[in-house]
Amino acid sequence: MKNAMLSYREGLHNAMHDALAAHDHTLIIGQGVTDHKGIFGTTTGLGEKFGKDRVLDTPLAEESITGICIGAALNGLYPINTHIRADFSLLAFNQIINLAAKYKYMFGGLFNLPMIIRLVVGRSWGQGAQHSQSLQSLFAHIPGLMVIMPSSPHAIEAAYGHAIANHRGPVISLEHRLMYELKFSDDGWSSTAGETPFSSRMVRSGSDVTIVATSIMVLEAMRAAEYLSGHDIDCEVIDLHCVSHPDKQMIIDSVGRTGRLIVADTSWLPYGVTAEVGRIIVEHDPSLLRSPMISMGMQPSPCPTAKSLEDIFYPTVGDLCGNIVRLVKGQESTDIPVPSESSMSDYYKAFRGPF
Amino acid sequence: MAQLGEDLYRGLYLARASEQAVIEHYPEDEMRTPMHMSMGQEHIPVGICQGLGGHCDVFASYRSHATFLAQTMNTDRFFAELYGKTSGTAEGKAGSMHLSAPAEGHILSSGIVASPIPVAVGAAFANKRLKTGRISVVFFGDGAVDSGVFWESLNVACLFQLPVFFVCEDNGLAVHTPISNRRGYDSLVDTVSTYRCLVYDDTSNDVEEIHRIAQDALAKNQKNPQPVFMNIACYRYLDHIGTGEDWHYGYRSVDERETWNKRDSLAMQRGRLLERGLGEADIKAMESEIDERIRKSVAFAKKAPFAEPERLYHGVFHESS
Repeated sequence: MKNAMLSYREGLHNAMHDALAAHDHTLIIGQGVTDHKGIFGTTTGLGEKFGKDRVLDTPLAEESITGICIGAALNGLYPINTHIRADFSLLAFNQIINLAAKYKYMFGGLFNLPMIIRLVVGRSWGQGAQHSQSLQSLFAHIPGLMVIMPSSPHAIEAAYGHAIANHRGPVISLEHRLMYELKFSDDGWSSTAGETPFSSRMVRSGSDVTIVATSIMVLEAMRAAEYLSGHDIDCEVIDLHCVSHPDKQMIIDSVGRTGRLIVADTSWLPYGVTAEVGRIIVEHDPSLLRSPMISMGMQPSPCPTAKSLEDIFYPTVGDLCGNIVRLVKGQESTDIPVPSESSMSDYYKAFRGPF
Repeated sequence: MAQLGEDLYRGLYLARASEQAVIEHYPEDEMRTPMHMSMGQEHIPVGICQGLGGHCDVFASYRSHATFLAQTMNTDRFFAELYGKTSGTAEGKAGSMHLSAPAEGHILSSGIVASPIPVAVGAAFANKRLKTGRISVVFFGDGAVDSGVFWESLNVACLFQLPVFFVCEDNGLAVHTPISNRRGYDSLVDTVSTYRCLVYDDTSNDVEEIHRIAQDALAKNQKNPQPVFMNIACYRYLDHIGTGEDWHYGYRSVDERETWNKRDSLAMQRGRLLERGLGEADIKAMESEIDERIRKSVAFAKKAPFAEPERLYHGVFHESS
């Protein structure tokens, strides 16, 4: 079925459904997975269909639930653990970082720990400081964790299916709440395949600038690229996707061609994804860059609740376009108008594709 | 009964003598791993593990020497791991705090207090779902009970009625902090008794009594799978960390030590074997056999190779097929 439209949420629901249907030992475990909201509609109806002993509502006890998932995985089950905000996973960091990340190594390779931890990153509508954090760098800093940030429903279906069928270790997946209701067509960039379903993906080829982006910033990069293609700027866009295992060669080759690099991440800049991508280039060959790289992400503050401040806190597609123009055309070129949407959340409230 | 008594004594002696060997060789500075010694607490894992007869998945804390040896009786891999050698449980990557032997039922040991408790509950969840018939057993100290994750895990285990044994090795100390400085309630056993689980409270210091409790709990569990909580009093003979004694710091009383020494589980069991008619020579032979085994294991560990440098990077990430 060509040109079928699929929302991020539907992709997640499909992935959850297929996981339970295809593998008897798969469980979905988390607070609220069987309630009427079903993790924003991604587990709705699955408890009824597959049994509430496989779609398991739990107490609000993040550390123990994560530990229980680890124990269940050690003994042959495949748990999918949900957190409706990534922020809540901080309560489980002991289990994730001190245990899950280390079990294979610390015990001399005796254990596999197949499991997915789903983290939803909040944004807009006043999420504020404790419902908005995008914690990929904290996870990816730790050896032993596979950290992915799917940017489309197709990426989710492929990555989750691959994780469950083929990957024997813990996968941390950061899903972006703002994308849940967005519809994606199945014949565009969003269904572009990487080398493996975890790999970084080249989602747009271009010659003037390399934009390496994560999660919803991939959509922003594609919007900016489409807009600027009408102004004679040709952007290459890489969906980093696997934060823990970026395709270094893809990034190096791309920057080798374009000589320019913008990294657009969903989180803070210091010690983060943008810094890591910069390290990849600088340690390989700094002379690949004709101009200094530009990093984009959240402002260096906790997330404010008021919309007026929140609009400043997150980078907009206008900011991204401005940076691209500055990088490609030089500081003085300001003749290209920059889109002026006040914030991405306004845009995406009505947004229905084609991205 | 005679055979059981001997087996239990053999388990106690193996753990005690192995740690004596650790004390003897530690100053040579070849075992470069922080030691949290089990000495004084051996009757708990020996009684439980033998009582459950191997039908269990054991999860342990960092004070796991006796637990590992009780479950596996494998001194070769034990010492090799302490010496950091390839013939250890994890080619030297684990050391004293992360001993494991999943094939022999000692699943793992963890250096973070209380952290294996929910993992054991998850293993019990899988055992129940996959109908393996195995019991999941987690050993932890009374310090771990002060951690929130213990209560979270107890709650979930009781909510789902999972086949897990929570075994609290109650030596009264969290590192050096006594219970009186740590708890805002009077009785752990009474508090846990309000949860939907079987509760045992033991102060016997007697390995046969622990064995009896384990078998009783196992029988009840086989009839009606449910969580079990055991609070078992014991006395830590050595410092929290290291191989030395620590009464000279003055934080616990020498009188207390004397009281517990009189009830030493090893001496108690040895005396019992003699009372039951086993000769001193028979016991000595049993002990010598174990001493010799330990001597060989230490020698074997000392001679074994260290891992090749490239092993540093092996096993960090799980592969995809």
